[in-house]
Amino acid sequence: MLNGFSTRETVKHAVLILGAIIVLLPFYVMLTYSFKSPHEIMTNTGGIFGAQELFRDDYCIKRGNPVDACMVTPFIYNYVTAFSKAPLLRYLMNGLIVTGSIFVIQVVVALPCAYALAKLRFWGREAVFGLVLFCLLIPVHAIALPLYIMLAKLGLTNSYAALVIPWTISVFGIFLMRQFFMTVPDDLIDAARMDGMSEYSIIWNVMLPTAIPALMAFAIFSVVAHWNDYFWPRIVITGNRDLFTPPLGLREFKGDADGDNFGPMMASAVVIVMPLIVAFMLAQRRFIEGITLSGMK
Amino acid sequence: MGNQRAYLWCIGPALILMFLILLLPIFIAAGMSFTNYSLGNTSADFVGLENYEQIFTRSTYAKMFGATFRYVFLVVPMTVGLGLGAALLINSLTRFGEVYKTIYFLPVMSALIAMAIVWEFAFHPTIGIINATLERGCGTFLEGWTWYAKGCARTFPLWLTDRDYAIWTVSFIGIWQGFGFNMVLYLAGLTGIPRDLYHAAEMDGTQSAWDRFCLVTWPMLGPTTVFVVTISFIRSFQVFDTVEAFYPQGGGPSKSVYVMMFAIYEKAIQQNLMGIGAAITMVFLGFVMILTLIQRWLVERRTHYA
Repeated sequence: MLNGFSTRETVKHAVLILGAIIVLLPFYVMLTYSFKSPHEIMTNTGGIFGAQELFRDDYCIKRGNPVDACMVTPFIYNYVTAFSKAPLLRYLMNGLIVTGSIFVIQVVVALPCAYALAKLRFWGREAVFGLVLFCLLIPVHAIALPLYIMLAKLGLTNSYAALVIPWTISVFGIFLMRQFFMTVPDDLIDAARMDGMSEYSIIWNVMLPTAIPALMAFAIFSVVAHWNDYFWPRIVITGNRDLFTPPLGLREFKGDADGDNFGPMMASAVVIVMPLIVAFMLAQRRFIEGITLSGMK
Repeated sequence: MGNQRAYLWCIGPALILMFLILLLPIFIAAGMSFTNYSLGNTSADFVGLENYEQIFTRSTYAKMFGATFRYVFLVVPMTVGLGLGAALLINSLTRFGEVYKTIYFLPVMSALIAMAIVWEFAFHPTIGIINATLERGCGTFLEGWTWYAKGCARTFPLWLTDRDYAIWTVSFIGIWQGFGFNMVLYLAGLTGIPRDLYHAAEMDGTQSAWDRFCLVTWPMLGPTTVFVVTISFIRSFQVFDTVEAFYPQGGGPSKSVYVMMFAIYEKAIQQNLMGIGAAITMVFLGFVMILTLIQRWLVERRTHYA
């Protein structure tokens, strides 16, 4: 155990490296295909980055341009096509809007409730907390169908509202914040009350700042889940491309992909997956904390 | 004590939303599961238990349960086992543990739909990297393996479209995606085991690593394991993205990958058969409830001696 280069240690590394290769395989495929020309993809040649030889863009020629103007570098072609063939920027914006509003509303709803459950005395408090614990058991995806019908009856399908509404209540957020607020000393709140602060400003000016670390972890948990969510958007957004979130946009891309589009499709996959991976690399500890938050139950 | 009614403003919105978004839908689904409702119809007929009868008698739904359970019972033990294995290995390393941890966690936070599309490429029979790599092994000692020799003589499997392989391939992707999550939970569990226990075990004459594992690590990881297993069950029951990406219609070759979430989507959203979709939803919720009750029971039983 003391020797860092013992055979035992080497065997462990060998096993872990083999695992790492399997885990990284699709990421490698995704990146490398996003660099290659259609011919290189079809024949499995070109190494990691592709030869980057110019190739003829047939769509460009169909549009009546001369052949000379239609020679493109695979790498540039793939990424430019990803953004021009489908409104990828729009999808990314939608992703931001939806995940952002979900998180903000979740906090606005959950924080006061968590505060009341942790620090206010009122009749029925235990019952409300029991209800929160019960609701923790309900996976929202599992009740997607009745939720969809309710939204359809209200005429809300195909709208941002439909993407956001089911996620506005995070019982998990309430539970988490309540556990956190339990550790905040009562003196702090009493002092604030002495100063004449209203309950409202106690929540947002006293409790919120103390809860920043827990909120950060919750933000990561929430944003990762909803940026990557595919099931719910698939159900409530039908056809209206303007409302597509990144996963839906990518799925649509796949639907009408032909041989020439594999490169651009992989490029869009890279664009959709990368923001979270880059953020993860920058703040690993917080991410792991946030995503495994549900482990705290 | 300030405003006595303040709590109403604090819990009111949350309570209303909890009721409307989480509880009411369960009642709606329960009610609808006894009807033949479809969206757009003004009324629906009460059909009693007909929807449930279909679910438990028709062969389509037998396939649905088959595919779901096969997936769940492949993915749960594998993600738990690999998660624990990876955590133990990484925890025992003197260096570079963090690197593996980072790599293994990547799939957990990547959009599954995007990675499913990439895997589809990797598994592609002609241009995919997996069969291309396997072909390179032809003519070597690997041909001693009959399965491999057969692959070389004819072709390697159509991983996603052959019904003998489809569910395995989809499960493999589920395992690939999920074990890093369990690994991180186990790593957290491992840091919670007091060093003294290992010293004590050594004093009592425990020699091998395996004994140490059986005597200290595994029992101390009990609560983590109960949690990891439950959450793995609930997560794998909800598999949808990969199935829809590979098989937008019908649930795979001979419906061999027709999992429950996809069945709900197909019946209710694609075919507008809300009654049957609601009935599958209720059965699904039943499974989740049973799992959670088992977990609670295990947790409570454990507290007696842990």
